[in-house]
Amino acid sequence: MWIFEYYDLIRILTISDLKVKYQSSILGFLWSLLNPFLMLMVLYVVFSGMYDVSEESFIVYLFIGITSWRFFSNGTTTSVRSIVSKSNLVTKIFIPRKILVFSGVVSSFISSLLEFFILFLLLIVFRVSFTLNMLYFPFVTLIYFGIVFGAGLALGALYVFYRDLDQIWEVVISIGFFLSPIIYPVTLIPDRLLPIYMLNPVTVVMQMYREILLYGTAPSLPLFGYGTIAAVILLIAGSSIFGSLEWRFAEEI
Amino acid sequence: MVFSRCGRGEEPEPGMLEGETAIEVRHLTKRFRIPLQRNFTMYDRLSSFVHRKKAFYEEFDALKDVNIRLMHGDAVGIIGPNGSGKSTLLKLIAGVLYPDKGCVMVRGQVAPFLELGVGFEPELSARENIYLYGAIMGIPRKEIDRKYWDILNFAELRRFEFLKLRNFSSGMYARLAFSIAIQSNPDIMLLDEVLAVGDEQFQKKCMSKIEEFRHAGKTIVLVSHDLSSIEKICNQGILLQNGQVEATGSPEHVIEAYHRIMERG
Repeated sequence: MWIFEYYDLIRILTISDLKVKYQSSILGFLWSLLNPFLMLMVLYVVFSGMYDVSEESFIVYLFIGITSWRFFSNGTTTSVRSIVSKSNLVTKIFIPRKILVFSGVVSSFISSLLEFFILFLLLIVFRVSFTLNMLYFPFVTLIYFGIVFGAGLALGALYVFYRDLDQIWEVVISIGFFLSPIIYPVTLIPDRLLPIYMLNPVTVVMQMYREILLYGTAPSLPLFGYGTIAAVILLIAGSSIFGSLEWRFAEEI
Repeated sequence: MVFSRCGRGEEPEPGMLEGETAIEVRHLTKRFRIPLQRNFTMYDRLSSFVHRKKAFYEEFDALKDVNIRLMHGDAVGIIGPNGSGKSTLLKLIAGVLYPDKGCVMVRGQVAPFLELGVGFEPELSARENIYLYGAIMGIPRKEIDRKYWDILNFAELRRFEFLKLRNFSSGMYARLAFSIAIQSNPDIMLLDEVLAVGDEQFQKKCMSKIEEFRHAGKTIVLVSHDLSSIEKICNQGILLQNGQVEATGSPEHVIEAYHRIMERG
């Protein structure tokens, strides 16, 4: 498979990407961690008094939402431009072009893992009890990675042909923030809308993270099942969109 | 290692790449679409759909039914006026472009030098870029470790190992790129106007490196307007005009044909 065959190249593209992102200032890396933290503070101050929060530790609830959302928003936003911004690697040399999207998603993923690490510290600070169910973390994350990479393949390929897609996607991301249970509990959604509301795969993943990290339970089967199916569908759809457009990349870019 | 790519729904004809053939191209046609009215955003698509405008574009055949067969160890110079399809042909052989009709087949490891320093990252040091560009050119990491000092020495950039690439002059940049690229040790080299690298002294070094490859029996395909270097390096020539093969044979013969075309205007 291309991931193994081009392992060296993927690795070095990802590392270079991270180096460029973080070295512009010594604080670069700290800033990137400070960003979700400041966001947490603001959102906590604004929303903790807003509705009768039944959540025990709203701040942890909030941070799980923010952290998991940021992987989706950073990963897909990077993917949109991943092919066009590396146009030289498309028009002057032949490498499987998926690699460009993949290494972009992986580098967002590594940044997110650091944020998840902060999240674990927060769990300790707020005395959330650690359970064995936290061991589901890699599995939930794998599903999430599939969702983001699948969407990223489609976005990166389509952006070559539709150059306003980045702006459209920015709007989708801002709306998505409010359509996912980040700053409010799911119980706020009316029952009759719930089946539609839960179609959003990011919501499903977010809720699974809360189950395993905050509530100390195993991910509930419907969520896990739907998440897996969504990831597989997105990967297949993303790959086939990418595959059917790839042959014209070098001409259109 | 055989690379083959054909137009949609086509299969390579039997007998392609027979014997000592390194590169074979049959009935190769490449068509570009040049939009007259750009439909480049979703907004444009939507508005032209609403206003019932069709997407107008002109079609332009960059290559028309081209047939070429190159043997292992050949050094082939491709010449022709601007817009004759030289770079398109090279990009099709490199696998960057996909044919509309016909097939391309290549046997052996290909190193495309369509541009030097593809994927260089200006914000990173020379050292980091050696590993980055090396990986892009398909050189295994251990091989780069081993050749690391050879690369810097050949580029005459030993002192600048840790300098960021954005502080490099264009000559230094090209020298570093060329030195890394030649380490990929390919069976087939595709060169597109990349020999004009650095000062005269470094150009001589590049030339002798290419001579070395040639004596080692590697296949070289060279696109250039510099006829004297084609005469010096190549044992074969191809003249392209308007996307068709106009003449083949010895470099002298092909260059003469080229001059005749240019005089006719």
